[in-house]
Amino acid sequence: MDFLYSYLILAEIYVLLGLSTNLLVGIVGIFSVSQAAVFGVGAYIVADFLLSGTLPFLPALAIAAVCCILLNVLITLPSLRVAGDYFVVTSFGIQLLATAAFTNWTEGTGGANGLPGIPPPTVAGITLTDTTQYLAMTSIAAVIGCLCFALIMRAPFGRLLRAIREDELAVAAAGKGVLRAKVEAAALAGAFGGIAGGLSATFMSFIDPSSFDLDASILLLTMIVVGGARTLAGSVIGPFLLLALPQALSLVAIPTTVAAASRQLLYGLLLIAFALFRPQGLLGEKL
Amino acid sequence: MLLLQLLVNGIVTGCALGVVAISFSLVYSTTRIFHVAHAGVYTLGGYLAWSCAMRGIPDPLALVLAMLACAVLGALIQTQLYARLERRGATHLVVLIASLGALAVIQNIIAAVYTPDILQFPSPWAARILSLGGLRLTYAQLVTLVISLCGFAVVMLFARYTLLGKRIRAVASNPFLAEITRLEPRRVYVYVIAIASAVVCLPGVLVPFDLGLQPYGGITPLLTATIAMIAGGVGSIAGAFLLSVVIVVLQNLSLLVMPGQWSIGITFFIFVIFMLFRPRGLFAAA
Repeated sequence: MDFLYSYLILAEIYVLLGLSTNLLVGIVGIFSVSQAAVFGVGAYIVADFLLSGTLPFLPALAIAAVCCILLNVLITLPSLRVAGDYFVVTSFGIQLLATAAFTNWTEGTGGANGLPGIPPPTVAGITLTDTTQYLAMTSIAAVIGCLCFALIMRAPFGRLLRAIREDELAVAAAGKGVLRAKVEAAALAGAFGGIAGGLSATFMSFIDPSSFDLDASILLLTMIVVGGARTLAGSVIGPFLLLALPQALSLVAIPTTVAAASRQLLYGLLLIAFALFRPQGLLGEKL
Repeated sequence: MLLLQLLVNGIVTGCALGVVAISFSLVYSTTRIFHVAHAGVYTLGGYLAWSCAMRGIPDPLALVLAMLACAVLGALIQTQLYARLERRGATHLVVLIASLGALAVIQNIIAAVYTPDILQFPSPWAARILSLGGLRLTYAQLVTLVISLCGFAVVMLFARYTLLGKRIRAVASNPFLAEITRLEPRRVYVYVIAIASAVVCLPGVLVPFDLGLQPYGGITPLLTATIAMIAGGVGSIAGAFLLSVVIVVLQNLSLLVMPGQWSIGITFFIFVIFMLFRPRGLFAAA
């Protein structure tokens, strides 16, 4: 049972990340392979506050969210200034820089060894030590995230974002603030990423750079491509499916030495196959 | 002396990276595809040559075989992936995602077949050291420098004087006009990616003689090379090569003041400066 609960908790954390990635990649149409960096920053900030005991869980999570909002806006800003492909470089660069920082800045991140022993979070006087309690918290967070996403999609702001993806020039000509809308979408994506990071750090009680590297970003992108861009259903089904895949793979007898590589290989194949044959994903709209 | 040594090391690695940059620039300025999978081709070249070398094939022949294999791989990526996507009317974003997928596939096949650990070439000549005054260069570095410069010169001459080179430049400058004058842009795209994939094997094979092979080692060089290409001005082969040398020399000199793990920071800092002050690059075509 615990195994199932852990899977659900992780999947719900990745739903938040999926929403975050979908906002940027699906809705605004910005290619991003740096969402894992934002995720990591959120995780490390919460971990550092809890380990040093300076702040309780919720304020730490709030600070992580604010930092990630700022970070994501900063990352995304170049895409507003320079056209298309240059942003790919920025995105890769930020991700590699973040991995370098997570691995080498030992005082803040524990370096390659990571940060062990992150204490369980305390919310409203209750210390969450049990997986069921934790599942309740991530469920609430995931539901709030999904609600936000659904409301935004129905609101004028959501229509504006979709219009920007279709034709930026026309939106600007209609007198709408393209820059502002993009910054707001990036900020929202950052908040989701940061909160997911904090939740994941406290649930795992251990974090290290390998959870926030380029491969993690590619996994997030695969979730959106497989689930489907620009829909709530797509952002939910992608994480649930792709996190179940490693379990399915473990049923096939693959030597442990190539397990990680074969998992990543599968993500790559999925990216290619969906790009070729089903660019709308399982339950989404056309990318 | 340390300064001079770092400078020379920077020039050697910079020239190798310059070849990566000109090959990427060839693809990007012609097809307009941000060919991320090029990093995978770069890595694969080294591994194929390593396999040949382990079977006792002489190193020069191993290099040529790796170049041929990678040219075929590049042509396959273009015909089986990019061309299909284009026929299906895929957006730029989808092509980029597919290219990233191809990169993940190539890298992880390498990791599964050859293990993710660092591999060293079994060639004793590469580690032999040549001392010039107080400067120390390995033979691998020397060969890298010479072949990279030759590669650069050949690509320049090829683009300027051969019929295919002119055809590539014509397609790059105006695909529509190239189409109606029957230069067959689609076929040219295949040639371009095949040629670029073969060319990228030069540094892909030679650099590991010095530094060893790693399955995930292609992304940082490719990122640095694309930054050099953008800083040099898209479409300018000489600009991409020159800026590669400059960036890598700066990276190496930065070792005097900070540890090497942060050198990606230096590269990225250069990119941000360019984005802020000269987003079109130094030698951009009008």
